[in-house]
Amino acid sequence: MPEEKKSDATPKSSGSVSRRSFLKDAGIAVGAPALASIPGIPGQAAAAEPAAGPPPAEPPVCTTIQVEAQKTVELTVNGGKYRLAVEPHWSLRQLLRDTIGLTSPKDWCGGLGACGSCTVIVNGRPVLSCLTLACECGGAAVETAEGIAKSGHPIIQAYIDNNAFQCGYCTPGFVCTAKALLDRNGDPTEADARDALGGNLCRCASYQQHPPAVLQAARELKKA
Amino acid sequence: MKTIRRFNHVDAHTVEEAASILRGGGASALSGGTDLLGTLRFEVLPEYPETVVNLKTIPGLDFIKEDAAGLRIGATTRLEDIARSETVRARYGALAEAAHRSASPHIREMGTLAGNICQLTRCWYFRLPDNRFHCIRKGGTQCFAVSGDNRYHSIFGAIRSCFAVNPSDTAPALVALGARIQTDRRLIDAGEFWDMAVPGSTVLAPDEIVTEIQIPRPDAGSKSAFLKFAIRKSIDFPIVNCAVAAHGGSARICLNAVYNKPWRATAAEESIRGKAITEESADAAGAAAVETARALPGDRNTWKIQIARTLVKRALLACA
Repeated sequence: MPEEKKSDATPKSSGSVSRRSFLKDAGIAVGAPALASIPGIPGQAAAAEPAAGPPPAEPPVCTTIQVEAQKTVELTVNGGKYRLAVEPHWSLRQLLRDTIGLTSPKDWCGGLGACGSCTVIVNGRPVLSCLTLACECGGAAVETAEGIAKSGHPIIQAYIDNNAFQCGYCTPGFVCTAKALLDRNGDPTEADARDALGGNLCRCASYQQHPPAVLQAARELKKA
Repeated sequence: MKTIRRFNHVDAHTVEEAASILRGGGASALSGGTDLLGTLRFEVLPEYPETVVNLKTIPGLDFIKEDAAGLRIGATTRLEDIARSETVRARYGALAEAAHRSASPHIREMGTLAGNICQLTRCWYFRLPDNRFHCIRKGGTQCFAVSGDNRYHSIFGAIRSCFAVNPSDTAPALVALGARIQTDRRLIDAGEFWDMAVPGSTVLAPDEIVTEIQIPRPDAGSKSAFLKFAIRKSIDFPIVNCAVAAHGGSARICLNAVYNKPWRATAAEESIRGKAITEESADAAGAAAVETARALPGDRNTWKIQIARTLVKRALLACA
């Protein structure tokens, strides 16, 4: 049984087995003999040896990589104007957190687009900043939870009054989504609120408190 | 958390410019980004593009228009705009509902219709980071799901040995509504648009650009419906979905997430032809729809057969 190394960053010297190569080989070894016994599947049963994956990578040699210069992007964030140099592969979340210093957009699902904790508002739309490229935000108006709080929007007090958070990690994402809903629909029903917040996950299970908070904020906005 | 690896980014300003960049090789087309950027961050595919070409900067591809001939939706139109459109909801209900049930509200604000119909499969062997399973869809020689955990995989067999399913919600609605996809070089019937490709899900050439989707105006009295089965009400991809468009004594019925491409349930359509849609006739059509369905080795996806049968029945009844 090959010895499993704990770290994936094992040197590919002869005799050492990385976790990556172990799993690749294990997957192939399981696949071929099992398939050989299944009738009627064309092109599978004839495999006499395990199918080869892509050839193992050669160690990289020093290469000149053609990269374009950084792009310059002008955008507005929470009402303030910014002119920033951005790398083409940066996400908007990276730009907000690391360049501008607004740390409310979070990273929970690792960039799968599956949690909503990175939600910010771009040109009125609640979007996932982890899947938005910073270099595509030229001319955009971006709102984050910091800006929403600073503006005195009633959604913040409504979240507090209705205990719609526990650890607070998901809260900025929820706040942005809720604010975007209220901008578009000043009289949401509870079903509208649930629907709109369906892309925001909460590990502390605060879910039931969110629709009342949104409806309270809607009532406050109507008063103003 | 894994940072996305570097790429160059070009804003295309015409369709020809975008096609030319794709023709050059080493480039990927970027629309809403909710599929592509995930594949790049997790290095799902064996090759990483040097350049990403942004299609959203091409003017004139973001629109919803209706005329006497029917509905035209531009390729880069957001799913949420389609879901909210009064025009689409009034006369092309299956598509509005399918767009509304896609993904999550945020992904619908970013994702485009063309991107949704071109998206890659969600098979978890295919999607494991770092191309851990170099399967048939990546240029390899085998399917790992057919002998592995295939609980979400095809109930109607494979296309060229790939047992993964197509995950789009809008696709079956477009098939049921008789849509056509306009690219920069041809007009393709929805029924011919999807296929097993490496790694893609369509018949598009690597440099071919979708420009709009056309749906013929339905006859007066037509009805359409879309149903989706998933564990959660939001975010989840479909386990099975079904779209029906019915008029008079005939219906077009399309299932998805049950096969490598959207599955036109022709046996169910035959079963219901000329009949009023009732509990009995819809039930019979549901049974006909899955008559040729088979669980994969291991019997882990038998459950999908019952769900497909029930969705066909309920979608038909919604059009009664």
